[in-house]
Amino acid sequence: MKKTLEKEAVLRAYKRKQLLITLLPALALAILFGVLCALVSSKGYRLDIYLKKILNEGVVLAVVATGAIFIYSLGSFDISLGASTLFSATLGVMAYNATESFPIMILVIFGVAIGCSLLSSVLASVFHIPVFVTTVAMMSVLTAVASQIISVNGGALGGISIPSKLVRPLDTIEFKLLMLFGYAALCIFVFNFTKIGRRLKFLGGNANCAKLSGIRADRYAIVAFVMAGIGVGLGAFLTLVYTPSVTPTTAGGIGMNVIVAIVFGGMPISGGPRSRIYSALMGGFSYILLNNILKMLISGNAGYGISQIVSAVFFLAVVYITGMNYRTKLLAR
Amino acid sequence: MEGQMKNNLGKRIVGTLAIPVIVAVVLLSLCALGGRSMINTALGFNNFVSYTAIVMITTIALSINLNSGRFDFSLGAIMTLSSVIGAKVSYAALAGGEGSAVLMFAVTVLSGIVLGLISGVIYVFLGIPPIITSLGVTLIYEGITFTITQGRYLMTEVQNDSMRACRNTWIYSALLIVAVLAFIIYVFDRTRFGCNYRALKEGQKVAVDTGIREVPNAIACYTVCGGLMGVVGFLYAVRTTNIDTSALNFGSIGIMFTAFLPMFIGGYISRFSNEKLGFFLAALCMSMLNSTFAVFSNEIKASTQSIINAVLLVLFLIYLSNEYRIKAFFRPIRK
Amino acid sequence: MKKIIAMLLALVMVLSLAACGGTGDGNKPKEIKIGVLVADVSGEEALAFRNYYEKYLAPHYGVTLTYTEQLEDAAAEKAAIETFAAQGYNAIISLSASDRASQLETCAQYGMYYAIASGMDDALYAEHKSNEYFVGQIGPSMTTEYEAGVAMGKYFKEQGVKKIGIYGAFVPNPMHVYRLAGTLVGLGLSYNGATEMEAIAGQLYAGFDLNAVAGDIAVTHYIAGYSDTMWDELGAAMGAGIDAFISVGMATTFFADMLNGAKLPYSDIDSFTSGNGKNVKEGSLKYLAGKYASSVGPIFAAVINAVNGNAIRTPEGYALSISQSYLVATDAASFDACYGADQGDKPIISTETLDTVIGEDVTYEQFVAIVK
Repeated sequence: MKKTLEKEAVLRAYKRKQLLITLLPALALAILFGVLCALVSSKGYRLDIYLKKILNEGVVLAVVATGAIFIYSLGSFDISLGASTLFSATLGVMAYNATESFPIMILVIFGVAIGCSLLSSVLASVFHIPVFVTTVAMMSVLTAVASQIISVNGGALGGISIPSKLVRPLDTIEFKLLMLFGYAALCIFVFNFTKIGRRLKFLGGNANCAKLSGIRADRYAIVAFVMAGIGVGLGAFLTLVYTPSVTPTTAGGIGMNVIVAIVFGGMPISGGPRSRIYSALMGGFSYILLNNILKMLISGNAGYGISQIVSAVFFLAVVYITGMNYRTKLLAR
Repeated sequence: MEGQMKNNLGKRIVGTLAIPVIVAVVLLSLCALGGRSMINTALGFNNFVSYTAIVMITTIALSINLNSGRFDFSLGAIMTLSSVIGAKVSYAALAGGEGSAVLMFAVTVLSGIVLGLISGVIYVFLGIPPIITSLGVTLIYEGITFTITQGRYLMTEVQNDSMRACRNTWIYSALLIVAVLAFIIYVFDRTRFGCNYRALKEGQKVAVDTGIREVPNAIACYTVCGGLMGVVGFLYAVRTTNIDTSALNFGSIGIMFTAFLPMFIGGYISRFSNEKLGFFLAALCMSMLNSTFAVFSNEIKASTQSIINAVLLVLFLIYLSNEYRIKAFFRPIRK
Repeated sequence: MKKIIAMLLALVMVLSLAACGGTGDGNKPKEIKIGVLVADVSGEEALAFRNYYEKYLAPHYGVTLTYTEQLEDAAAEKAAIETFAAQGYNAIISLSASDRASQLETCAQYGMYYAIASGMDDALYAEHKSNEYFVGQIGPSMTTEYEAGVAMGKYFKEQGVKKIGIYGAFVPNPMHVYRLAGTLVGLGLSYNGATEMEAIAGQLYAGFDLNAVAGDIAVTHYIAGYSDTMWDELGAAMGAGIDAFISVGMATTFFADMLNGAKLPYSDIDSFTSGNGKNVKEGSLKYLAGKYASSVGPIFAAVINAVNGNAIRTPEGYALSISQSYLVATDAASFDACYGADQGDKPIISTETLDTVIGEDVTYEQFVAIVK
């Protein structure tokens, strides 16, 4: 009897620990949010502008990262997402300038984003090339082509643009939240309530087993890349809504920040059954909040280096704690 | 029996040299058709050997961990930080005087070893996937570099007669190629550490279950990679005559991408001979391509060079991944 | 259950962002606070500007001057302006050019003054010159950049060079495009038959083609950007026996050691730093056109006036648009004259000079006089 009670106590303690670890990303987001608000208030800054800025900075990252969860759930990762965002935005701007049609611009942006994603997936699944290497090649090609288009057409301005009045009405918190939650809802539906999500997680967890169960890995890889492509398209569109111009460096940091955001949000990089859509939202905004807090605390030129060091240590600490559930005797690979 | 051995040897020699020879023939022909020569000065040859050394050593450093399933984004950050430490220390000690290059080389390699060791210890201690550890380590090393230099180009520290003497000859680069190859082949192919490394690479669980200690092996791999990137950092400083330290937010990871194509080419060549020799031959191919790009720089812009490199990478991987299908496709034709 | 809690938490977080939008305590600034947008934090010129602002002007005028990190794109520029707005800054001085129109619109949206401490595209200026928050631009105009190139080209033509290499730096960066166009004209060369500024510059945005160059001086090698082949290309140029290497920017950073070592005459449009002094005196840098650190002083004064309600406008009532020329050194003496005149506590544009144009009754003509 006593042993049973002890076992139950241990089990309860274990469950509490698991719950805490699972909720840690959300907790980290809440704490960071609280710290930012406290810091902004104590310094007498305007919280409304700060929050708007953080939403603006985080929304593109969160949207692209949310789509990328589909790829990451397979245990693959895509480093070309930033380049795809740049390329889609570039061709979108070119399409608008050629036709002066807003709907055509949107169609081009999403078409190109999904097309780039499909090309990566076709190269990876049809020609059996490692996904990461495919995306490295795609990153080089897309960046080079976009830079060439921008430099030839940008002229003295150094970049290409659409009229700001075209997108200014959309540069509002309400519209961005609508886009973010609309896309997140679509992804949650596909990922959690259809067989696509289940099978992607199955493939990511154990590809051999999934294939032996009759799941067509290449087919689902293509679906995953299409969903990520939609995220890239939306990210490119929201980038233009924020600033209606494109230069060769636009969205340059997204490719790597997406990885950081997803991991920061508590999702294992190996994908599989522990993949979660909300990891991207949590991680994306947590990362942006953390960087803003550090920039407020550490100023000066050298401060940018120091704040990056602190940010990286914080990142590793959070990942270390959230990864406690998955640790094995062998070193992780 | 003897004939079969000769056949095998012949096949191995042909297999080993096929890609470098084909690349050389194609590129030299292109240069000849354009009425130019791939390398037309002593300086050009120095640069050619130095670039070969940079690519080969980076490729070896990338492959050591990547072959074991450990993806490491921090190679570029280690390279920059170690060379910054080397440059600062050597300048503080000798103010660019005689022996500066030797001191900088020693300090840079030592710094690389320490940074690699730290990276390995962090990976082992945290127990999280190496790709994630390397993201954090990259950010930390970039941050430290930026804090030391405030993002300035380091020029005074690396522009002196001693460094110039290194740049004005191909001998030092060639010596480094030989030394690194000898060291890596010995350590990874001729020692117990190397046997353990290969066992862990092929079957992590089985190797650990049979008593191989994975932790020291992994830490040693990171340490060796760090030292190698220190060598690359020094060579880069000699070649470019400055150190760009402004990279933040993963700006340093670019060097890694230059090593992918030679790594796969080296992997292919390793079917016929030693893998490290394959990396050397692959680096030679990349250096020839680089020199050809330099010769045709007016016709082939930097953006086009990126596209060509990426397309070559994809085409080569398509070939590697579908070799048996391609051979099956051509078999009836041969008959 | 856990997922639902986590989702709800996320929702609360993001909705809080929305809920807070549009509110705020609107603290009134008690001092003048200026934010500086920078795209380059490591270049010698950028660091010289920064020293002048932070160590010389800011303490003297009691102004808070805050630099951004290296801004990579238009989104980063806009986010930086929003940060300054949230922190109650009064004005922005921009040294970053990803999207100037967006920078200005964002500043105006938050009621901050906006000024550009470098050149600006004429069409863009014309479009925004009536904006009350646009203080203006002071720096080399595209015409000045072109003229700097012409002067550099002429110098080498007069030296009798017959065969040269050119470093086009970061063409299609407009500043480098105009300098390159000017260099060709100064050398007496045509580009696809064109010999006029706009006609050449218009073509250079698409890239530089050696075959399009015609004239008495042979341009045998052209290098641009930053790539792994740069040093090989320079080696090939040196091996081909060029007489000089003309750069429209950054050559002293990337190539000085190689060029000095080979004693090959070269030029650059860069800045007056101790490193470049060494290149002139001990190396083979024969022509250096550069800005001086305190050249960014007048735009600072214009911003102070605007914040204090004494905005200086052109006689037509528009934002300022004043071009500044480059200083040129061709030997040790002329280098020392430029470099020595703009040091630490004794800059070319001192606080005493700026004091004469900071105040209520300053006229446009007075202001132009100190800039020129």
